[in-house]
Amino acid sequence: MNLDDALQTFITESRELLEDMENALLNIDLAGDQSEAINAIFRAAHTIKGSAGLFSLDHIVAFTHVVESLLDAVRDGRLVLNDEMITLLLSCCDYLTGMTDGLAAGRYDADPDTAADGEMLLQQLRRHMGMESEAPDAHAGALAVQPEPDVERMGGDAGDSDYWHISLRFGAGVLQNGMDPIAFLRYLARLGRIAGMATVADALPPAADMDAELCYLGFEIAFDSNADREAILGVFEFVQDDCDIRLVAPRSKVSEYVELIRALPENPARLGEMLVLCGSVTAAELAAALAQQSQSETSATPDHSADIPPRLGSILVAAGQVAPVVVEAALNKQKQVVEQKAQENRSIRVDSDKLDKLIDLVGELIIAGARASVIGQRLHSTELQEATSTLSGLVEEVRDAALELRMVKIGATFNRFQRVVHDVARELGKDIGLAVDGEDAELDKTVVEKIGDPLMHLVRNAMDHGIEPADVRIAAGKPARGMIKLNAFHESGSIVIQVSDDGGGLRKEKILAKAIERGLVDADRKLTDAEIYNLIFEAGFSTAEKITNLSGRGVGMDVVKRNITALRGSVDVGSSEGQGTTVTVRLPLTLAIIDGFLVQVGDSVFVIPLDTIEECIEFAAEPGQDYSNLRGQVLPFIRLRSLFHIGGAPTRRESIVVLRFGKVRAGLVVDTLLGEFQTVIKPLSPIFSEVRCISGSTILGTGDVALILDVGALLQAVDGKGAALPALAA
Amino acid sequence: MPLTAINLASAPLPSQYLTFVLGEEQFAVGILHVKEIIEYAAMATVPMMPDCVRGVINLRGAVVPVLDLSARFGRGVARVGKRTSIIIAEVAAEADDEQRGGKQVLGMMVDAVNAVVEIEPADIEQAPSFGTRIRPDFIAGIGKCNGRFVILLALERVLSTGEVVALARSMAEQEREHEHAHEHHPWPA
Repeated sequence: MNLDDALQTFITESRELLEDMENALLNIDLAGDQSEAINAIFRAAHTIKGSAGLFSLDHIVAFTHVVESLLDAVRDGRLVLNDEMITLLLSCCDYLTGMTDGLAAGRYDADPDTAADGEMLLQQLRRHMGMESEAPDAHAGALAVQPEPDVERMGGDAGDSDYWHISLRFGAGVLQNGMDPIAFLRYLARLGRIAGMATVADALPPAADMDAELCYLGFEIAFDSNADREAILGVFEFVQDDCDIRLVAPRSKVSEYVELIRALPENPARLGEMLVLCGSVTAAELAAALAQQSQSETSATPDHSADIPPRLGSILVAAGQVAPVVVEAALNKQKQVVEQKAQENRSIRVDSDKLDKLIDLVGELIIAGARASVIGQRLHSTELQEATSTLSGLVEEVRDAALELRMVKIGATFNRFQRVVHDVARELGKDIGLAVDGEDAELDKTVVEKIGDPLMHLVRNAMDHGIEPADVRIAAGKPARGMIKLNAFHESGSIVIQVSDDGGGLRKEKILAKAIERGLVDADRKLTDAEIYNLIFEAGFSTAEKITNLSGRGVGMDVVKRNITALRGSVDVGSSEGQGTTVTVRLPLTLAIIDGFLVQVGDSVFVIPLDTIEECIEFAAEPGQDYSNLRGQVLPFIRLRSLFHIGGAPTRRESIVVLRFGKVRAGLVVDTLLGEFQTVIKPLSPIFSEVRCISGSTILGTGDVALILDVGALLQAVDGKGAALPALAA
Repeated sequence: MPLTAINLASAPLPSQYLTFVLGEEQFAVGILHVKEIIEYAAMATVPMMPDCVRGVINLRGAVVPVLDLSARFGRGVARVGKRTSIIIAEVAAEADDEQRGGKQVLGMMVDAVNAVVEIEPADIEQAPSFGTRIRPDFIAGIGKCNGRFVILLALERVLSTGEVVALARSMAEQEREHEHAHEHHPWPA
């Protein structure tokens, strides 16, 4: 599993969601009915929070949680949205975008430069929620690994040497001895204010050589405190033996800092920068130190001047002319540019419309080539025929390559969930494994991109609500370890993705009761099991009593349904109490190659997905009946001609295509069998959305259009006419 | 220039129109709706659709539905003649259809295509509330062109996806009722 890829996906998705959120915010006052827009904004925030949590991006989670809480209040009608709040929410959007950009540039924690903005936004958000006086709610508190305000890098204070300067180098064995360096820094903050801090990570070996149990870090700290040297040193009493501490008192001469720089093991250039960075010295002071240095150098002993000072000097010249902070910022910037370049080289995001256009053009090219070769044959020109056959070979390769561009395996999406399941399971305190099947099923890139979100919700829902705690499982005679299963397969021109769990299953009564309570259904209506199960996809439906970080806001499942319907797919849930729940998502392959079988009825050519065909037989019917004897079994058949009202008389030698869909087997009577054909599915215009039996169309080599039969819908259509198709077992 | 902007915004209708013949009558559509005009060619029929949906054609790799305007106006299915053409038109997609990026392309089968004419907004009258043989909401106005009246079509209404879908749905429902009325059992249960 490549987490980097998943992170890229998260970044892309977040950007899209933030765009949506912004648009919704900008349009909200124009629309009369706000609830839809508010729901959209809320869902965007909720999804970002959820996904960020999976990557342990605590700063994003903490921030988004507060935004979400405010939106939740708005959604429930506890607060009324006004202009001021919209402006505030837009700023939050910008701030989140900033964090996402930071993430793209490789920053996995909060950016101290903007942390103050974030804190300000949070305060405003809380003010709107009327939470100003209260502490942030316990939940946010627990999550808030916000940069502690007292560890902010205070640029304005830089150069004011009223601070203690502490140089800390923790010994390698600190962690092994059970000490946590961060704990000491926190304790230190009780004596005063950490005005600036720079982490010295120079001792960090390459990742391969690193021993995770050793500590390689040091810190340069500017410390604002009235405490005396004793008290400050006392903080580090427990690690004294294990650690190298140097203190420079406030208002010390700059030369003392230079001494300090020299005494420390690291490269003086870095240290100089860090001192400036954490605000203990200013660039100007360092420059002054340089002057002092070079003066003293003239009188210094030869070996001394040959040692560190020249190097230090040259650095400080640079520092004197250009503020090191500026230099560092510039360097960071450069690094970001390089990193982004590298990403761009790995992959290019192309508008899918452009790919569609390319594929259409290639299709036309094939037809044009075919016509040219027909002319070549007619003219009996061998040369022309040779040229056209080379051409059509090349064009077909181009077509395959073009089609490949859009197709991706679902495996990458599935693998993303290994980490999801692992982390969420830990968060929930449950033991849950993930089994993945059908990773090789290919589907359209656009579908893959859009299915990630709904799947995430489904998996998390299954883990949170589906899988029971271990003790309940054992009591029910199940293995303690719960299993989530992801499965994907192609079925008659659709891709089917299943998320199943072996948990407690859905409780019908509880769902029904909740739905009635929420006014989603009338109390006296009789519902089938399937209808009851599908209630969980209604907006605002959630049976979880407490709001957890994971789910329970009643947002997940309706997002799932909405996203899937937007893809013209369907979602279904099946469950048996005590055994588990399976959510089946069926999506059309908006653009995919399937192996089809061409048949002709009258003038119309139809494509039947090959994987639904068992065999083809010669037409024969039991006298007066619409079923046939297939090796001693009853095979009911459908006359395509009469079902589709196609005129004309049937040919003398009709055939029956034996179809199997799920547990149902049936025959399809057609005029002529034309053979196998690999087809590119073209979605049909929405005007045909009522035509259930056709799932799409394709263009044949001749340039004619053929319709692709939706076998499942076809069988359902005749099934609804009162004639039951016998199941295979019967 | 604010003045131009106002003029553009307030211009009620475009001034160039493509005229065509349907039966005996002349109709016109705003030229900005027209993508191209192609010769009539055999097309794949889509089953279970109302008569006004003639089928689908392959327009350079895109599968485009074609409406039979004559049938759409309730005048029966058009007969294919020598000059039968398909006008490929682009109309704004309906609100519930987000897939097509706001535009959708449809073909209109007509008996013959005439010419592109200029009709000044001053020469366009509102449709009378009665006296026309086609549904009033299909008419954007009646233009005067070379001393003759020509009906300017409101394409968004004529080519309304939602309406065609509703037609197809009611057709399917009728069929189902029909089946139930005759309750025959093609297969033993």
